[in-house]
Amino acid sequence: MRTYELMFVADPRVSDEDVVAMTQDYKNMITAGGSQITGEESWGRRKLAYPINKVNEGKYVLLYISSESGKTALPEVEHRMRQNDRILRYLTVRTDEDLKRAARRPAKSGGASSEDRERHDRMGDDGEPEEEV
Amino acid sequence: MARARKVFFRRRKVCKFCADKIDYIDYKDVKLLQQFIPERSKILPRRISGTCANHQRPLQQAIKRARHLALIPFTTD
Repeated sequence: MRTYELMFVADPRVSDEDVVAMTQDYKNMITAGGSQITGEESWGRRKLAYPINKVNEGKYVLLYISSESGKTALPEVEHRMRQNDRILRYLTVRTDEDLKRAARRPAKSGGASSEDRERHDRMGDDGEPEEEV
Repeated sequence: MARARKVFFRRRKVCKFCADKIDYIDYKDVKLLQQFIPERSKILPRRISGTCANHQRPLQQAIKRARHLALIPFTTD
């Protein structure tokens, strides 16, 4: 089984509803391609570390995907994202191998607690959503 | 006598990831990555940070991924 993470940054001028609709679109493509969506995170509006296309903020969406067969619709999804000018950046990462390797290492301190800590720490100092446009 | 003075203690550097048992370096963990990008936003070399080679490699990968998604900067001007 392969697992993937797909993260993309949408233009902040796109409304939240449209971002959700867009995400749903991609999710449909992925499930139609025979993979499952195992998780979804929306980070909302976040300041970019550097301006992209003269835009200083972005809306971050993260999808966790798993595929039993190893065949996915991800190439098509990436192709669509590349052509969608409301998407500033996207990144697909295959995670199963790295996670498996990490899990094999001994003496991992309690799974749940370290995960909580990670989620809590993840947003850096500029993680706070900013309201200005 | 003079020779003895040359001996001084340098704090031994330990790999943060080995010490904290972080096996999967997540590109989304901005707070963690920021510890390895000083002012100029360059990746902190192993010789300074003490990170072991086995962890520096995934760290470098994670930083580059985070940069692509504008989570951390390429440079600061």
